[in-house]
Amino acid sequence: MKPLAVILLVLFLSFVFSALSVPCYATFAQNLRWSIDGSARLNHNQALDNSSRIYALGIDTHKVFTNSTGDIGYGVGQLYWTKLSNHMPVPFLFSSKDDSDLIIREAHLNYTAGPNWLPNVRVGHFTLPFGLEESIDTNGRLLDYYLGKNLGTKLDWGVSLNKVISQIEYNLSYTLGGKDKAKSVDGSYAVTGRIGSLSHHDLVIGVSIFDGNIDNISRKRLALDWQYYWGTWGFLGELALGEDNKQSQGWQKEKYSLIELNKTSINNQLKLYSQFIIKDKEFQESTDKRINIGFSYQFTTQLELSMSGVKQINTPASGQKQQLASVQLRYRY
Amino acid sequence: MKMHAIVLILILLMLILLSGNVNAIAYCSLRDPVAQIAELYPQKTNQLSIVKTVDDNIRSQVQIALPSNDLHFSELGRHTLYIAMFGKEILGYVHVRSEQSDWGLVEIVWAIDKDLRIRNFVFQRCRSPKKKIAQQSDFKAMFIGKNYQELKQQLSADGVTANESVLTHAQGAPELANVVLRCALKTLLLTEMLWGEELEKL
Repeated sequence: MKPLAVILLVLFLSFVFSALSVPCYATFAQNLRWSIDGSARLNHNQALDNSSRIYALGIDTHKVFTNSTGDIGYGVGQLYWTKLSNHMPVPFLFSSKDDSDLIIREAHLNYTAGPNWLPNVRVGHFTLPFGLEESIDTNGRLLDYYLGKNLGTKLDWGVSLNKVISQIEYNLSYTLGGKDKAKSVDGSYAVTGRIGSLSHHDLVIGVSIFDGNIDNISRKRLALDWQYYWGTWGFLGELALGEDNKQSQGWQKEKYSLIELNKTSINNQLKLYSQFIIKDKEFQESTDKRINIGFSYQFTTQLELSMSGVKQINTPASGQKQQLASVQLRYRY
Repeated sequence: MKMHAIVLILILLMLILLSGNVNAIAYCSLRDPVAQIAELYPQKTNQLSIVKTVDDNIRSQVQIALPSNDLHFSELGRHTLYIAMFGKEILGYVHVRSEQSDWGLVEIVWAIDKDLRIRNFVFQRCRSPKKKIAQQSDFKAMFIGKNYQELKQQLSADGVTANESVLTHAQGAPELANVVLRCALKTLLLTEMLWGEELEKL
């Protein structure tokens, strides 16, 4: 879907929400958050002996829709101009290593005004509810829980039913599998869901499922994720078991696991993390093992510096171990 | 060399632009404290959000009203006050605030009544090993039912710790009592300063 069409769609849905809130307690500008969000990321891929840059400049918005009896729902809209510079491999959203484009990250509305026993309804382009990413947002950050690599996409167009109830939160989505396109492509679809304990607790446990066909690859996943916090330390993990069916290869079993140990300073400015990631495919010669060490430092409310380094431990069939170093400056105004 | 120059220019631009207050995190990660509001107001049928900006001017006013205190940088930006509703009836307000502690940020969800007195509170995040003490009714009773002026009288002369009376009743968790008291004071102060006028109209 073209960015302009998407913007018009979101504006239309926002208008519908606003119309629902008549008599309108708040004008459109009220209960609206917006930020200009800019970042510059420098990557060095040792295996390819290549340095690349990614620049992003965009607007990030959040709007709560209300009427006299309470909130109706909220909307999130994120539109970014993104420029690659010598970036390889070329991400699916771009056509060349120096391409630039307008990218929609999240653009959705969540209707929350139903009775307590009914779920909220989300419509739009949103992050698939699966694993650690459901409670720890990594959009625009170097920190990553590899949702896109595991499921075939991180964000997709569709609808979800979600709710936080007394001791449980859940989110179940049906999306079209078109990734950035608001349509099904060659029969693509994705059913994704997660149910877990409340994400603000010191111990969080969740179970996720995925069944989909994206880019002509069928995937099934069952995952367990957990977070445990003790003081300023965090111990996180995700284990996903499943299988992939590429048209030429048939079904292959896949196993993906991530363990993370993190530490946050008491003033929350510095966050350090180390991850150990294992990815095992049935017909692959060696199990892919990587470590990822990184940090982020929040200078002010606006300015954040983050760095990360990923190193592959096993030797792949190509003989070239992956080694990627990244540094990012991000400013939100 | 060209890349270095671009990065340098970006850094300089960002440093020059160091002003204004927004949320450091992307807005897609914002979460309403739905479970906590339901715990504080079990009979509520909905909630009404009012979003206001905590800026440097507000921060200065807090520093004047509560000398030796400051707002954590994450407390600047756009923040929400929730009004717990039962149909069209207002049950009370909910305000989430963070306070720095020896165990990282403590995030407290405050229930405030229509006279701006503390009605109850629950923790959204508290990594203190003594958290369970602070969840007991005896501990909470030191703060519940009090307004800003009454809570301010519980501060000692240094302006950041609780007085002897509170500390002796803190059941072995004096550090947590200090954190909860400072957070309560800032919460009530900010509620009055930023949302007071609007709440009177409701």
